[in-house]
Amino acid sequence: MVDGVILTIIKSLVLASVLMGFFAYMTWVERKLIGRFQARYGPNRVGPYGLMQPIADLGKMLQKENMIPEMAHRKLYIAAPFIAMTCAIGAFGLMPFGDVATIPGTDWTIHLYIADTSVSLLVVAAIGSLGFYGLMIGGWASSSKYALLGGMRAIAQLVSYEVAFTLAVIGVIIQAGSLSFISIANAQEHLWYIIPQFLGFLVFFVAAVAESNRPPFDLTEADGEVVAGYHTEYGGMRYAMFAAAEFINAITLSALGAVLFLGGPSGPFLPGPIWMLLKIGAFLFVLIWIRATLPRVRFDQLMKIGWKVLLPVATLNLLLTAVAVVYL
Amino acid sequence: MDIVVFFIASVCAIASAIAVVAQKNPFVSALALLGNLASLAALMLLLEAQFVAAAQIIVYAGAVMVMFLFVIAYVGPRGEIGPGVRKPWLVALSVFAALLIAVEIVVVVMGASLGSVASVDANYGSPAAIGEALVTDYLLAFEVVSVILFMAAVAGVVFGTGGRPVRLSNDQVLAKEGESAVERRREASRAALEAARDSTTGESAR
Repeated sequence: MVDGVILTIIKSLVLASVLMGFFAYMTWVERKLIGRFQARYGPNRVGPYGLMQPIADLGKMLQKENMIPEMAHRKLYIAAPFIAMTCAIGAFGLMPFGDVATIPGTDWTIHLYIADTSVSLLVVAAIGSLGFYGLMIGGWASSSKYALLGGMRAIAQLVSYEVAFTLAVIGVIIQAGSLSFISIANAQEHLWYIIPQFLGFLVFFVAAVAESNRPPFDLTEADGEVVAGYHTEYGGMRYAMFAAAEFINAITLSALGAVLFLGGPSGPFLPGPIWMLLKIGAFLFVLIWIRATLPRVRFDQLMKIGWKVLLPVATLNLLLTAVAVVYL
Repeated sequence: MDIVVFFIASVCAIASAIAVVAQKNPFVSALALLGNLASLAALMLLLEAQFVAAAQIIVYAGAVMVMFLFVIAYVGPRGEIGPGVRKPWLVALSVFAALLIAVEIVVVVMGASLGSVASVDANYGSPAAIGEALVTDYLLAFEVVSVILFMAAVAGVVFGTGGRPVRLSNDQVLAKEGESAVERRREASRAALEAARDSTTGESAR
């Protein structure tokens, strides 16, 4: 906390609202883009260009009946979507949108981040791993075979890819010499880390797609095998919260990629927050593009990629970075 | 502010620790243990140990408890489990162990001068300080631990795959048991293939 409790609370509320708005319209962008990739229009009935579609979806979700399966563990069943959602928004809270800015017309300065700790990166990883408990608890508490299998798949996937993910990120940490997002972003003033850390970036990107359960790694909800995975038994707003948490996780990982490899909020002409949103948007565009292009991998392929390809490559990148930092 | 956080975290830690043993559902018990570990991480934050707090969540919540829940969800009982057999000597032993720990805590608390807060510099507990301590003062311990962990990983692989029967190639069988054994193997695989074919045609006919 850099500016007192009340300002921090206000900033958190603003960030959470912006995040939810961004998320809502990214779902519209996703549907529109996937429509174009498949040579159709995408949503275009509600409002101009279908722009009111997210609001219509929200209205529909809110009206649905909240069902709880008879055999479910009621408390955990209800808690699971909240856990997933809380962790998803919480992890995003540490993302920097710039350093210090002056509010126009006054001489008030404001920090464009909520908190910058010496272990920010670890905190994001920690909250991210807590978020997976939402999926696991949801899968277990629904008392359904498909939901349980989906939850278990989520955990297996998390454990396999977190190792490679962390190793890839350590390359950046060594080069920047810090775990704080502000320091990492500032260290890229002259050269974005995507160039010296290209190998690490590749591993980071593949692992990030797997960690956010996006296609082609969305085995937790492979409809041909486990119906809808961990949220099979969820409907209405509870399902929407799971879906939102998943998309917000993708946004957080995109923001992480922007900070670690694309210089974070720095850029010419435009202010920091705009650059940050543009870089997040670029990552999300590639994610959507991949979703529209690639078929889903098999589970054994997923494990093979994680342990036999990404892990050795990430280790190699780590060794090269360490040698380069010490001797160059 | 510190005191408020301290009390909330302490109450959560104690309540979740009680819940671990009081809950009848093993899945919920494991979740309570997770809550306990998270509360401890909050307490560590108050002690200026940011790195340890984050590592606590990543290691225990992100890896260890995930495995616990994985096993409980897959092979554990779904519902509540009843009380086990209560043996008098077990009850006596557990009470004795609890008393021992209580005495130990009292001795430590009385012996330590907890009245004053130790002052540490801003760098204390930062990742840089911990990293430096690990590769200078505690290098030997650090390396020994990494060797032990590596051995544990290798042992895990050996235990995980060691019990599986190895399928010998035809040449190896020939060298070991002679021509007739190979012939028997071929017969067996041919029969299995035919059985599989019969069952699939049966399926499609139906």
